[in-house]
Amino acid sequence: MAWIETVVNGLLLGGLYGLIGIGLALVFGVMRVVDGAQGEFMVMAAFFAVIVLAAAPDLHPLIIFGLAILFSFCVGYVYQSWIVNRSMQSSDPLAPLLLTFGVSIILRSVMVEVFGADLRGLQLGSLSRASIAIFNINIGVMPLLTLATSIALFLLLQWMLKRTSFGRIIRATADRRDIVRLFGVKPDRVYACVMAMSVALSAIAGLFLAARASFTPFSGVERLLIAFEVVVLGGIGSFWGPLIGGLALGVTQLVGLKWDPNAGLLYCHLLFFIMILIRPSGLVASRS
Amino acid sequence: MTLLEVSGLNVFHGDLQAIFDLDLRVGEGEVVALVGANGAGKTTMMRALVGLIASKQGRIRFDGAEISAASAEDIARAGLCMVPEGRMLFDSLTVLENLMMGQVLRRRGYWTLERVFELFPILAERRSAMPRHLSGGQQQMVAIGRALICNPRLLLCDEISLGLAPLMVEQIYAAFAQIGKQGTALVLVEQDVKRASAAADRLYCLLKGRISLETAAGAVRVEDLTRAYFGA
Amino acid sequence: MHLRLVSGVVASILLSAGAPFVLGDGALRLWTEALLILTMAQMWNLLAGYAGLVSFGHQVFVAAGAYALFLAAEALNVSPYWVLPLAPLAAAFLAALVALPLFRLRDAYFSIGIWVFSEIVATLVTKSSLTGATAGLPLKTSSLMDLDWFEPTLFWIASVLALAATAGLLLLMRSEFGLGIMSVRDNDVAAMSVGVDVQRNRLIVFVISAAGCGAAGAVNFLSNLYLSPASAFDVSWVVNMMFIVVIGGIGTLEGPIIGTLLFFALREIVTGQLGLSGGWYLVALGSVAVGTMLWSPRGLWPALSARWGLRFMSVERKAPRLALQDKPNND
Repeated sequence: MAWIETVVNGLLLGGLYGLIGIGLALVFGVMRVVDGAQGEFMVMAAFFAVIVLAAAPDLHPLIIFGLAILFSFCVGYVYQSWIVNRSMQSSDPLAPLLLTFGVSIILRSVMVEVFGADLRGLQLGSLSRASIAIFNINIGVMPLLTLATSIALFLLLQWMLKRTSFGRIIRATADRRDIVRLFGVKPDRVYACVMAMSVALSAIAGLFLAARASFTPFSGVERLLIAFEVVVLGGIGSFWGPLIGGLALGVTQLVGLKWDPNAGLLYCHLLFFIMILIRPSGLVASRS
Repeated sequence: MTLLEVSGLNVFHGDLQAIFDLDLRVGEGEVVALVGANGAGKTTMMRALVGLIASKQGRIRFDGAEISAASAEDIARAGLCMVPEGRMLFDSLTVLENLMMGQVLRRRGYWTLERVFELFPILAERRSAMPRHLSGGQQQMVAIGRALICNPRLLLCDEISLGLAPLMVEQIYAAFAQIGKQGTALVLVEQDVKRASAAADRLYCLLKGRISLETAAGAVRVEDLTRAYFGA
Repeated sequence: MHLRLVSGVVASILLSAGAPFVLGDGALRLWTEALLILTMAQMWNLLAGYAGLVSFGHQVFVAAGAYALFLAAEALNVSPYWVLPLAPLAAAFLAALVALPLFRLRDAYFSIGIWVFSEIVATLVTKSSLTGATAGLPLKTSSLMDLDWFEPTLFWIASVLALAATAGLLLLMRSEFGLGIMSVRDNDVAAMSVGVDVQRNRLIVFVISAAGCGAAGAVNFLSNLYLSPASAFDVSWVVNMMFIVVIGGIGTLEGPIIGTLLFFALREIVTGQLGLSGGWYLVALGSVAVGTMLWSPRGLWPALSARWGLRFMSVERKAPRLALQDKPNND
């Protein structure tokens, strides 16, 4: 029974990992940019929510979440159109990479200086601690909400990309960024929208992390490698992959920790390393 | 009525100049052939006209407006569209979705999805196929249909027949007759002089980035053309 | 050219031989650190700038060199100086071992794969009592060294490493082998078709790059007299290498030198002169990186040398092709 509980908790943790990976995968899939600052945007949204909650304690959590997501959406749009788009004109893929790592260091260090490096949480009253019992397994409400949201967002994103005309434009831009211009599409604007969505998705991950556990300015960078693993395992450019990758890593981490308590992320890394050697193009075959 | 008027156009590829002081004119509803050997600068010229190459000098007037500094997006919006060389379909979009990209410009007119399917019935049949599963000729049809749905005033077609079976080329050129009937002006860029001049009203020949011959398509003299095509 | 190279090397040797007698203790330590970072940066530059392999995991080789030194000195009970040559060997051995699986990965996969490998090794080292686990290792035989000459000796070793890395890179890239390497980076299919053994060349460069980082890492921790897994496997090592190389100018030999000078000047000014905390230094560093990538994406050195027509050790580089990048347009 204890093992089943571990697996279930692993799946719930995997929901969070999937959420973290999805934004990164979206950006990489559409513009071939590895965004090193994604983790910091996650933490930034959490700090934003903490500040708003402190200023207006009576606000409903959903409104606070909404504000934080909207804020992150705008940040993402500006980040892409003012900064990342400019460096993407260079033919060298290292330019946007270093640029985003630079942004990540700036954001993280400013957050440390301004807010300090202490552990913080987003107290949503009883919701943060609540749990329900299913078949004698105790399941936290927040982790369950995380996984449900994660799956819902994956479905929504999938629907948007496959079924809407905006999704079609995004896929076409990912295929051929110069040819779409012949149809009146401005690639820079598409990229800005994609980055905005991606940062908003990271924000959701950050809010859930803050609400179910605690966070510091370093919470983002500490999960950057696992986010990369989620994306690569899921197959770069695939949009379903990150959820599957995230679930696999979440289960592996908790089962590994139960078996070998001071292993940290060792078994996640081992799983990743073995998988990537067996299938160098990821678990889910790439779209392109 | 002149639809497109190019005068004194120079186009650059980094430090290299590809097009020199070029003049060119396309009338309303006219079909113009632009021929030239491989490397004469035909594709560069086309990409410069639609705004995909920004490093250029000279005047380009389209439909009465100066467009030499306009963005590719605005040029397309004005009704100057292109079927690019190598077809350049969107690989992760189905045939139908590729065609629907033409609707993004929202230029309404004669050409709709239904009319493109009438023109190329095979596309209706294969509407949910991915481009990589189509034959070269079918891919070319998608590329043409995608541009037609933009309802262009002037359509630039770059190397339509390249790498296609003769029968397929026949079929596609037959479609051009129908496209011309709707009043769409056409520029047909070809290496195959015979094919292009048969379909066109007027003909330009390009040699090393310069116009080497301009003539009515019916009155081409073989020795003139040979000189203009290969250089003396 | 050879005259200029030889005179440059001789001048550098004379300068570094005399420096310890002129510089104070603090300055000497700072320069030692800078020269070691420069060595590592050149090694990362060799791999990324010339062979087109972007590594996020070079900290594993820094750590491998350091652990080899500490463990060997203790096991053989000799002065650490004697076992210093084992450090690059250990790092090279590790690199050769892991190259086999890692080289199957391309581009971003390779970058992330090697980072994950480094994390795996780090966790195993942290779990093993043989390597001192989380507590790390003290340098047991430090008493066998002459501590009066400790700082100058380390400075001299660091100078030799930095000089060897830079001059060696210059000679390597001017050689036929270097041309082969660069042809692989610019177009591996074409290089293969003219008979360049792509995998073998990559392997050699990878192993050299690891060995250099191992040697520099060992000297760095030798100067601390203490080694902890957290600092040895710190991802900051590779982040610093990357920042220095890309800001200075990747694929040039001068770039990492400029980058290193800027890196340390920034740190000394922000934390020393201005008296601000380390956090603000990181903000400044990040801002320099962002600014450079926006205004001169190829780095500072190519921009400066183009403006002033400077050329010292020119070995050119073009951007690596990403397999996932847009297809090139025809004509």
